[in-house]
Amino acid sequence: MGPLVVYEVISQNTNLLLAFFIGIGFGFVLEQAGFSSSRKLAGVFYGYDTVVLKVFFTGAVTAMIGLLFFSLFGWIDLSYVYVNETYLTSSILGGVIMGAGFIMGGFCPGTSFCGAAIGKIDAMIFIVGLFIGVFIFGEGYPLWEEIYKAAYMGTPRISEFFGISEGLIALLVIIAALLMFWGGEWAEKKFPREEY
Amino acid sequence: MKNITLSPRMVITAVLLSLGLIIAAVPKNTTKPYKLTAAQILDEIKSGTQYLEPEQVAQMLVEKDPYLQLIDIRPQNEFEKFSLPGAISIPVDNLLSPDQAEVFDQDVRLNVFYGNGTTQANEAWMLLRQLGYKNIYVLRGGLNYWAEAILNPTAPPSTSPNDDLARYDFRMGASQALGGGALSSSETQTKTQAPAKVPGPKPTGKKKKVAGGCS
Repeated sequence: MGPLVVYEVISQNTNLLLAFFIGIGFGFVLEQAGFSSSRKLAGVFYGYDTVVLKVFFTGAVTAMIGLLFFSLFGWIDLSYVYVNETYLTSSILGGVIMGAGFIMGGFCPGTSFCGAAIGKIDAMIFIVGLFIGVFIFGEGYPLWEEIYKAAYMGTPRISEFFGISEGLIALLVIIAALLMFWGGEWAEKKFPREEY
Repeated sequence: MKNITLSPRMVITAVLLSLGLIIAAVPKNTTKPYKLTAAQILDEIKSGTQYLEPEQVAQMLVEKDPYLQLIDIRPQNEFEKFSLPGAISIPVDNLLSPDQAEVFDQDVRLNVFYGNGTTQANEAWMLLRQLGYKNIYVLRGGLNYWAEAILNPTAPPSTSPNDDLARYDFRMGASQALGGGALSSSETQTKTQAPAKVPGPKPTGKKKKVAGGCS
């Protein structure tokens, strides 16, 4: 039955239209959760506000449980769900660069557009920086092409990589998420800030 | 009496943990549903869209159409004895082996099955079509009809309609271009003195829209 596009239940164009509405919903929820504030976002690194952690782990756990149960009921064929290819070196390097940018700028790419949409000047400047980065990467691509494509691993899933069932991984992620929520709330009490 | 109330945090924790336990306990659903339903396949069979006429295939061969991929589903030893030009051998037994997946999992080339007749080619077509692969066709009549129609065409009576005569001319041309007579007796060989008209007239009958090349 699913994925709907693969089984031609809906057309590519309908798919894009749905993505458009889901994108608007995503942006709205991000903004409502306070993700347009760079201080709130940076709070996760200092411990005074861990809403970022909670929102993203809630999203991940919800999608994970949903997909696994849909697959169990035969509503979706997970082997047709697109999985990003893993280039280990660029994943690590990209993660470090993104994390550094996140701490310094106070936004991640998605939330910067969220902030810009409600008129935050720091978010707009962040977007300018983002495009400078895109430009440097694109123009200098031959310089780092080798690193970029190094350590290609195909599309491994954690369950296949460790040879554990998907369900068990899901349970572990849920437990990790609950511990994360608990640790986050503890950190918020431990490192409180009055105003931010 | 004191009411026991659960905080929202406790409720969420309980729900998440129980869902996680369920999903960890049940085995993974590995059933792979067919991508096409039986009714859809029946529709295709009824309309006969899976067939390519020998003339269409012959013309693509003559024109060296790069999109044509002939697939011989007979056993390997028969393939080695005789096969159509450019055909690859995928015996029916190997149809689902992972090595063949990339032959079928594409939407550029036209995969055309042929066997001696059409039965096995049709079975292969039906199986792969239900798995959702596209651009799969069957050579109408298989090699038997190919030999009869392309390699050793028989002249229609001179009173036949023009269409039949044109088709005969085309077949004679294709026969020469494709090394006709390989399966024929020397008697018919000597009769092929008609000048090779390559490519011949377009094959008559319903023409299928194909990806590139032959349009």
